[in-house]
Amino acid sequence: MLCHTLVGKHTKMSEVELSCLAYAKMYLHASQFPRCSVNGLLLSSSPAGGTICITDCVPLLHSHLSLAPITQLALTQVDVWCSQTQQRIVGYYQANACVSDSSPTPCALKIAEKIFEQCNNAVLLMIDGEKMFPGCRAPPIVMYERKDARWALKDKHTIMLRQWEETCSIVNQLFSSGDQALLVDFDSHLDDITKDWTNQKLNAKIMELVSPANGNV
Amino acid sequence: MSSISELYDVTWEEMRDKLRKWREENYRNSEQIVDVGEELINEHASKLGDDIWIIYEQVMIAALDCSRDDLAWSCLQELKRQFPDSHRVKRLAGMRLEALERYEDANKLYDSILQDDPTNTAARKRKISILRAQGKSSEAIRELNEYLEQFVGDQEAWHELSELYINEHDYAKAAFCLEELMMTNPHNHLYCEQYAEVKYTQGGLENLELARKYFAQALKLNNRNMRALFGLYMSASHIAASPKVSAKVKKDNVKYAAWAASQISRAYQMAGRGKKENKCSVKAVEEMLESMQITMS
Repeated sequence: MLCHTLVGKHTKMSEVELSCLAYAKMYLHASQFPRCSVNGLLLSSSPAGGTICITDCVPLLHSHLSLAPITQLALTQVDVWCSQTQQRIVGYYQANACVSDSSPTPCALKIAEKIFEQCNNAVLLMIDGEKMFPGCRAPPIVMYERKDARWALKDKHTIMLRQWEETCSIVNQLFSSGDQALLVDFDSHLDDITKDWTNQKLNAKIMELVSPANGNV
Repeated sequence: MSSISELYDVTWEEMRDKLRKWREENYRNSEQIVDVGEELINEHASKLGDDIWIIYEQVMIAALDCSRDDLAWSCLQELKRQFPDSHRVKRLAGMRLEALERYEDANKLYDSILQDDPTNTAARKRKISILRAQGKSSEAIRELNEYLEQFVGDQEAWHELSELYINEHDYAKAAFCLEELMMTNPHNHLYCEQYAEVKYTQGGLENLELARKYFAQALKLNNRNMRALFGLYMSASHIAASPKVSAKVKKDNVKYAAWAASQISRAYQMAGRGKKENKCSVKAVEEMLESMQITMS
């Protein structure tokens, strides 16, 4: 009887919540570079413990994902920015160029490991390109979490996307208004350092669209 | 829905010239090419003269990129009608099949071109692209290596091969390809900088020093290459922080890193001027440079 109760305690799955802002920017990033593999970092502005709330993301690269210098540079800069803005890096996302294969690459696993060293409930998110089409009902994402020294598929029921319909509609609005072109990733920033990889402008546009959905006027 | 000429207040000649510029500089801005090209073809075909054929080709390829099979098909029909036995047009038909993921049919088409003309490089390259699209990287690498044994001067192929090796984490072979490219294109700062990135990734003191040298070389060729500047900063910092180097090497690298840091600061300060929105990135860089200085001293 005692064993049974103990087992019950230890198998509580950690839930992950993905905000509209984070989802929208990841989606836009993958759409902006359809022929490239893209990646980025998942951030949280909530305190550690309990449900992981992914509140934002930083799109990083669309070329040479497996080369070290720019990845290291980006990780360092995002780290700094996070400490300046009370956010934490809680995960990593990647969309593979080859649409039919959404499994994590060695490079994805490596970076996710690094993040896991600092955040013990870090998540690895792969974007499933095959599910990225208008009218698709399911979120095109596959999440992994660290379990028994490897990255294991996360139970879909522990992943929450609040207001999924509104999120889809917001993404569509961004495409029809042309605002999806506002997205800047770290790679593009290095091509032109006047561009803002924290995407303040785009964030503001997205938050504007989010508010009515929440009932906040 | 207003036309491109109305929206941007351009003449058909300007649209034609824009298309030529994109063609010559190999831009892959397919949505724009489709917008401009489709209007040009529909409204001004008669004025384009012989240019129309190369425009059909350009627009067709862009249309495939944008899943506009209707437009691709009509361009292809025009080209087939004008050039009924052309291998060049056959290759375009093959590309359309590729876009529809009918890879077996596409391969058959390319094989028939190669039977007729075994030296047709375009068809060979399309076959390799199909392998890539199917995720068959090792086969693509093998075919590309064979291709390069015959066509050793094909820059595009060497670069494609370096990309494939980088994706497979075979950095030594990627470096070899980039060395070929640097030899034949000594003024290209991008090849230097990519080579440096590969060396940095391979790691170890010797590779870091090589990386630093090639980042510096890339900067010499183009002093606005930010990746090279950051690369120089990071490689010099890592060398300086290594316990294995002599005092002189450490001193030299501290100097290189300090120089790079000041250049980075300057570049960001200039970039930050008057632009409120990139304040965050400027602040992040400043703090990063400060904190790395502390670890080096």
